[in-house]
Amino acid sequence: MAMKVNREEHGQDLVLAVEGSVDIASSPELRGELRVAVEAKRPRIVIDMSGVSFVDSSGLATLIEALQGTSGYGGKLCLCCLSTTVRGVFELANLDSIFSISGTREEALQA
Amino acid sequence: MSKLPPDFVQMFRVSLRSDPQYLEALRTLISETTNILGLEEEVTTKIVLAVTEACANVIRHCYGGAHGERMDVTLRFGPDFYEVQIDDWGTFVDPATMKGRELEDVKPGGLGLHFMHKVMTSVEFKKNQWGGTTLTMVKKLKPASSAESSQGSSAGTPEREE
Repeated sequence: MAMKVNREEHGQDLVLAVEGSVDIASSPELRGELRVAVEAKRPRIVIDMSGVSFVDSSGLATLIEALQGTSGYGGKLCLCCLSTTVRGVFELANLDSIFSISGTREEALQA
Repeated sequence: MSKLPPDFVQMFRVSLRSDPQYLEALRTLISETTNILGLEEEVTTKIVLAVTEACANVIRHCYGGAHGERMDVTLRFGPDFYEVQIDDWGTFVDPATMKGRELEDVKPGGLGLHFMHKVMTSVEFKKNQWGGTTLTMVKKLKPASSAESSQGSSAGTPEREE
């Protein structure tokens, strides 16, 4: 399934709701969205992954880059609503303890 | 009644362009074949992840990012294994020179090879007759009958991962 990214403004914070596969084919598009948000120094970027069916190492690299970008200016990058299979990929890379991962979007906006 | 033996090995072979846009279709094919075997979603995700990473490596490293080259992917599976062979006609990359990053060293990239080794039972790179690389990855499985008996009478899909 081709990836789609929906943007939602929450004051200065930004929610990116991602759908489909985040892989070598689609991650450049997500990287572009995240770079814009990082350059704007958004205090909090939430990535709602409830619609993500698959993520590979390119997708993870994109998220790590954004995490490091937000940390650089004291911002936060929060992930939420990961499916069991997507969370499993984070666990394989020991990244589940590196990212802030919430069960719901509301929790992520307050984490 | 089937005339084929129970351990008959089925095979699918696809030839595709070294273009990431075709990997979604490849993942669908793999998922359909693992459904035939009755594998759990978790095992399917692992195989799909390993194949996606392997194909991404072919595109990036063997073909230097070119999208118009050839990759052949062969899926072979029987009651106790799922094998994926990927052939390319690009530059052979010596596996000894391929180094993933340490997991503790959190930075973008370097996870593909780690995933392949972590989720498959064996991963083997060889220089092939065309000068490119043949990668063979095998996932050993518990035969469905033994997985069911070890599961007892509990409901759900029996665990097939060894």
